[in-house]
Amino acid sequence: MLEPEEVAAAVPESDKTLKIEAFVPCSQIDTTYFDKPYYLAPEKMGTEAFVLLRDGMAQEKVAAIARTVLFRRMRTVLIRPHGKGLIASTLNFDYEVRSSEQAFEDIPDLKIEGEMLELAEHIIGTKEGGFDPSTFDDRYEAAVAELVKAKIEGRALPKKKAPVASKPSDLLQALRESAGLGAGEGKPKRAAANANRGTARQKATKSAQKPKRSAAAPTRRAG
Amino acid sequence: MAVRPYWKGYLKLSLVTCPVQMMPATSENEKVRFHTLNRETRNRIVSHYVDAVTGKDVAEDDEVKGYERGENEYVILEDEELENAALESTKTIDISTFTSRGNVEWIWLDTPYYLSPNDPVGEEAFSVIRDAMESRNMVGISRLVISRRERAVMLEPRGKGIVVWTLRYGDEVRDEDLYFERIGDEKADTEMMPLIRELIKRQTSAWSPKMVADPVQARLLDIIAAKKKALKKPARPKGRTTPPPQSSNVINIMDALKKSVEAEKRAKR
Repeated sequence: MLEPEEVAAAVPESDKTLKIEAFVPCSQIDTTYFDKPYYLAPEKMGTEAFVLLRDGMAQEKVAAIARTVLFRRMRTVLIRPHGKGLIASTLNFDYEVRSSEQAFEDIPDLKIEGEMLELAEHIIGTKEGGFDPSTFDDRYEAAVAELVKAKIEGRALPKKKAPVASKPSDLLQALRESAGLGAGEGKPKRAAANANRGTARQKATKSAQKPKRSAAAPTRRAG
Repeated sequence: MAVRPYWKGYLKLSLVTCPVQMMPATSENEKVRFHTLNRETRNRIVSHYVDAVTGKDVAEDDEVKGYERGENEYVILEDEELENAALESTKTIDISTFTSRGNVEWIWLDTPYYLSPNDPVGEEAFSVIRDAMESRNMVGISRLVISRRERAVMLEPRGKGIVVWTLRYGDEVRDEDLYFERIGDEKADTEMMPLIRELIKRQTSAWSPKMVADPVQARLLDIIAAKKKALKKPARPKGRTTPPPQSSNVINIMDALKKSVEAEKRAKR
């Protein structure tokens, strides 16, 4: 048995310092270790050095690895420039993150090339766009509210059609059709194969018309 | 590695659908774990769910969610009904948009999951989607319901598989302007820049697994090993030990910068 004091004694005292141990090129950083991000801002006296460090890292395209004691735990943090300031992200330790290679080891090494690859690349091209995470709306609460309402009113709950996996022999054809449809995808032109897709799309557009974040935010918190 | 998948569903790109499974990338597995014990008996402590009115134990199968519609009036919802809730994104990751990786800043990344095909039938479709993203250097954006909330997710090809990142909600990221107000538009001293860049270059090294190793775990394991040895005698708690000083290759940037600034000033006189 370990008494709580003994566990605490294994952690070094906090000296309120982020000791930078090394810099690492941003392109090499394995983001799967990221835990929580914190904004770092200078105290009154440190702005000159802070800004120098920030711009130096930005120009060298590196981030800093530092160690500190946070909330009685020894943590490694990654510090990098963000807008006018810096962000320090705590990193999880190696034993806390599964190796992606191990997770993916059973996936066969298939060579995808030729027409299939080109078609998929083309499809990606037609769906290319910007994305602003801050405008994303969580529709789940509204959907659950709908569900409860339906139950109270004794209505039948909407039945969802199960998704159907593409057959390997149909893959090339499915890619061709997807690439052919392009922007006009919303229209349920075809019959059987598209049955699920059509309904799903209609549901999606309906929800998108609902008011966004301001309505979604309070309901989400209640979950 | 046979791990029970956290989520099973489908990955969809336009008309191409393949069965997939997902597991969290972060695991609690190998951390030094403690059980909570009763100090007197050394027995483990367990928790019980009991009926609030009868006081009797309730079996897990009998636990059900109820929505309170009035005083003690509940609408019962089965787990299955809640899971489905008529949203496609509970079962299917339908990629609606693609964008360049740089367009999604690190601050939006919440939790990573590993996505892989669940059935040989879908392996080729999965690989096509993954390789196309890889060759165009893009990430996919979609929606997914996890833990009763719909999340924006980013799909990133990685090796043979795909990493799915849940993205933070807009109101989960604090406005940086509030915190960075004091910095204002201050720019770095252009004369100091080459110095700091040189300092940084000298301290730049490749990413290494050692950077994410935990020194405290090692210490805890040592303590436990020592205790096992001393099990015959009742062990007394050790005094607070100070850790060895940090190795000498840590440079205090602020001191170095101050010294550089001083040196420059002197040189100018």
